[in-house]
Amino acid sequence: MRGLIGNISRYALHDGPGIRTTVFLKGCPLHCPWCHNPELISHEPEVAFYAERCISCGDCQAVCPEDAILMHGEKRIDHTRCTGCGLCTKSCPAIALVMIGREYELEELVEVLLRDRHFFEVSGGGVTLSGGEPTQQLEFTASLLERLHNEGIHTTIESNGIFPRETFASTCLDHLDLILFDLKCIDSAWHQEVVGRGNERILENLSCLLKTRARDVIVRIPVIPGHTATPENIGQIADHLRKLNVCRYSLLPYHPFGCSKAAALGKIQKNSLPEQAMEQDKLGQWQEFFHGIERVLP
Amino acid sequence: MTAVTLDEIGLKEFTLESLPRLKELRTQYFSRQPEICIERARYVTQYLREHDDSAHSPELRQAKKVEYFLRHKSARFHDRNLIAGNTTSKALGAPLFPEFFALTLWPELETVSDRKKNPQKLTASEASELNLEIFPFWMDKNVLEVTRSQFDNPECLQLFEKLVFFIAAKAGCISHAVPTYTSMLQYGLSGLIKKAAEYEEELAGVTDADAEQKADFFRAVQISLQGIIVHAEHLAEEAKELATVADDPKDAAEFTAMAAVCRSVPVGPATTFREAVNAIWICQVGIHAENINMAMSPGRLDQILYPYYKQDIAEGRLDIGRAMELVGCLWLKIADNVTMVPEASEELFGGAGTVPAITLGGVGKDGEDAVNDLTYIMLRATELLGIRDPNVNARYDYEKNSQDYCRRVSEVILNTKSVPAFFNDKANITALCGQGERLEHARDYAVIGCVELASSGRDYPASSSIMMNLAAALEMALFGGKRPITGEEQIGPATPDPSELRSFEEFWKIFKIQLDWLIEQAITLNEYMGAVHQEMMPSPLLSALFIGPMDKGVDLIRGGALYNSSGATHIAFADVVDSLSAIEQTVFIEKKYTFNDVLEQVRGNFSGQKGVKMRLYLKNHTPKYGTEAVIARKNAHNMIQHLFEKYQSHTNYRGGPYHPSYWTMTNHAGLGGISGALPHGRKAGEVFSSGITPVSGAAPELTACLNAVAELGGECVPGCWALNIKYTPESDVAIMAERFAQTIEAYFRAGGQQVQFNIMTYEMLLDAKKHPEKYPELMVRVSGYSAYFKDLNEMMKDELITRTQYGLDDGRVVPLPPEAKRRH
Ligand code: SF4
Ligand code: SF4
Repeated sequence: MRGLIGNISRYALHDGPGIRTTVFLKGCPLHCPWCHNPELISHEPEVAFYAERCISCGDCQAVCPEDAILMHGEKRIDHTRCTGCGLCTKSCPAIALVMIGREYELEELVEVLLRDRHFFEVSGGGVTLSGGEPTQQLEFTASLLERLHNEGIHTTIESNGIFPRETFASTCLDHLDLILFDLKCIDSAWHQEVVGRGNERILENLSCLLKTRARDVIVRIPVIPGHTATPENIGQIADHLRKLNVCRYSLLPYHPFGCSKAAALGKIQKNSLPEQAMEQDKLGQWQEFFHGIERVLP
Repeated sequence: MTAVTLDEIGLKEFTLESLPRLKELRTQYFSRQPEICIERARYVTQYLREHDDSAHSPELRQAKKVEYFLRHKSARFHDRNLIAGNTTSKALGAPLFPEFFALTLWPELETVSDRKKNPQKLTASEASELNLEIFPFWMDKNVLEVTRSQFDNPECLQLFEKLVFFIAAKAGCISHAVPTYTSMLQYGLSGLIKKAAEYEEELAGVTDADAEQKADFFRAVQISLQGIIVHAEHLAEEAKELATVADDPKDAAEFTAMAAVCRSVPVGPATTFREAVNAIWICQVGIHAENINMAMSPGRLDQILYPYYKQDIAEGRLDIGRAMELVGCLWLKIADNVTMVPEASEELFGGAGTVPAITLGGVGKDGEDAVNDLTYIMLRATELLGIRDPNVNARYDYEKNSQDYCRRVSEVILNTKSVPAFFNDKANITALCGQGERLEHARDYAVIGCVELASSGRDYPASSSIMMNLAAALEMALFGGKRPITGEEQIGPATPDPSELRSFEEFWKIFKIQLDWLIEQAITLNEYMGAVHQEMMPSPLLSALFIGPMDKGVDLIRGGALYNSSGATHIAFADVVDSLSAIEQTVFIEKKYTFNDVLEQVRGNFSGQKGVKMRLYLKNHTPKYGTEAVIARKNAHNMIQHLFEKYQSHTNYRGGPYHPSYWTMTNHAGLGGISGALPHGRKAGEVFSSGITPVSGAAPELTACLNAVAELGGECVPGCWALNIKYTPESDVAIMAERFAQTIEAYFRAGGQQVQFNIMTYEMLLDAKKHPEKYPELMVRVSGYSAYFKDLNEMMKDELITRTQYGLDDGRVVPLPPEAKRRH
């Protein structure tokens, strides 16, 4: 069984307890304008181009079988022609062209994850599956979680909440120790308009999950200026969480991570977003809405 | 049973403000400029000229020479330090050892005081004495010249003198040892002398040559120890004199107390903590009458001094503040000397202290937690003083020592930004047991100088005997036994042109031919010099402070110790492994380049468009040591394995094994600066990576890097290594210390033997290079020891700046700022 992995990040400290390895699976059904990992939205491997590294040697053009290399202008790849074969990335001396997304055999991936087992053990850490949306590759995710649990590794998932509930419950849930569940907005129409889907499924999944695993769920709310960060929205989310008896939440301050990554893929993120990151300590005004619920630092 | 009774192990209530004496001494220390002290050179020369009897055994001649010097050595008190005794006549002095390299100062007598980099003051009259009376006597009598004449200027010596292949440390010292002070403290020097006299007497009736030699050795022990006793008496007299002339009754009382201490110890057994501390220091001073001040390491002082501390505390004679003051005074005493460095050597050794190592914590001989209150007092003193010497090291057994201890050591590192270094008990004890040391002896290991290990007072390790430049062997393999820096001269065996090779294994074989040839040369020279040392520089005084020589009646230099290893360290390990992997990958696996392509670019220093492209490809697309790339791991492992087997196939002149190790002092910068381009995309003149540390920028992930290094540890690295890791400082020390400690524990569990840190950013170091005046006390870890950043040469500064910096927040490499890249 193979999974398409965008990135593996070791020594991750903000994706659950302890020192962790975070696996970023490729593919997501939403398209949030502020996405931190826009390179992981597509379900296919993609080539990213980092113009500042390029020495204009032309080696990429020489090897591309699809004539998809543009040697002039800011873009290097004609994404309409590129098949993602990866030959250019292998020959580019400057790693200006980089393949995002690589298929891993399950065991191959497990071997990489187990390399840091001693770091997990000394810190109470483990493995976190993130993305993209890891449940998009549900079968692979389920097998991976089971494998890790059998190895005694603490597991965490970061999910946007859109997953087929029954299958998730029957194949993944038992092998999960912690669920980081994203909640962006209560108004479904807004949800549909801004991130591409309504939020009914998300809210249902959350309330079901809380029935059995309330202690293992942390609801995470991205605080995005001009989008989610309105008193109305945050207030509604807080009320909803209280209604559902959510135990723990955390606020994810906005960071313009995604902008440069999107640019490398030839995609432009909405320029309505600020260029500056939001400081963790600027979250105070939003925290007040959540009195009664335990806050966890991301 | 735990010996920790402190409520707060950080001892935060003690500060330089609450210990004003330490504050004052520390300020004085930083304001002092080193001065060259010619006393030792003067008196040993005088002795040899006027009193030496060449009919005597080498041990006896050495003992008399040492005793003569100690008898004439001045007894001075330079400041309000509570401990009596100085290494030299100067407050911060560089003693001269004409037996070794002192004569390199000859051409610089007039400039050494005023040279730009690290000047060492020398008065005009002393310069003239050296020029006219002392140096001429030694022209043909130092170790190097004696070796030359005795062995007919051998090839290995000529090779060493080129300085770019290997360094034979015995031309400059042996030192590098950890004596044991336990029996000295228990019986006093008079007790040790009595024992030697009894042994001598037992031999009186026996008439064979062996017995005569032994009796001579015991006589030599008595004479040399007597020298220390006489010097202590002189210290007592001077202190008494100062007490009578002191204006302030408080000062007078202090001098009177010191006079009393010097009368009691080290001649007699130590009865208090203060006496024990001072006895150890006076013996260190004595040792340096005989052996040069290079890495003579006091060892596990938190263990040795603990019984005295405990008793004084129990009897109400001592409190923690006073104990810390005495420890701080001892640290500052240990820092009272530097080595004489001629300008020509600044490149290779610039900024180095004398690296006397102190080892704290870990387990005891019984394998149980040995951390005690004194461990924490010494850690706090180290944290408060922030000085280069002593080189403080912390042992850590992750199963036996508490996590509080690990966190506390981590906190000290974060606060000092660089010390102590961390040593893994499990891996290091395994490594020593692999060398046939008994378990309880291995457990009692201490660090010598930079990183090498020795069972305290049992192993006379002559660590640092050989410093081998692995890049030299690689260049010789690439160019048929020649190196670009030595031109057309055929140095090593004429191995085949690599462009004719069909497999990587063939190249690996050629590399080994060159490497082994160099190792043979280095070992041959070490053996020659060992023989010269046996005739010229035995160590009867040091022998008395070891376990073994007194039982065997044999001096350390003839194999008197229980264990008798020789250390051989290696420079450019990571660079050479990466070059081998780059060749294997691009020439033999991918066949992207021919060997000739690579050689052409290496010769041309990757110039021109083609060169730039190839260099980037080699840097970016070949397997790197410090990642988990299979080929890189294989080549690193093979290198370690090969060196281990090669050295272990030799036995040294004292009957012990050669221990390979991996630390580089500043040699990786100096030797890198004069080496040509290499196949992993390193341009000519770029510094090599330090110790066992991966090439800067080659190991992007912290955990992968630590794993890749750790898996090399254990039995094949009996001499240990220096791994340098640079972390970005964070504002919250407590949170950082927690992660820091966890990271170290994981690295140790994976087998890592040692790690040392610099907690600083590229920007800060760049600023310190630009504005040295703003950072007069900035201390950095080099490779196994600490130095003041301002004292380092420009290359070494750049090496520190460009070292990979990891964020402890995400384990990622922090990108190098453009300003730091602009060097080339
Ligand atoms: S990935 Fe393949 S098709 Fe796409 S640009 Fe590169 S070489 Fe051409
Ligand atoms: S191969 Fe890489 S460096 Fe060369 S032109 Fe293409 S993108 Fe630029």
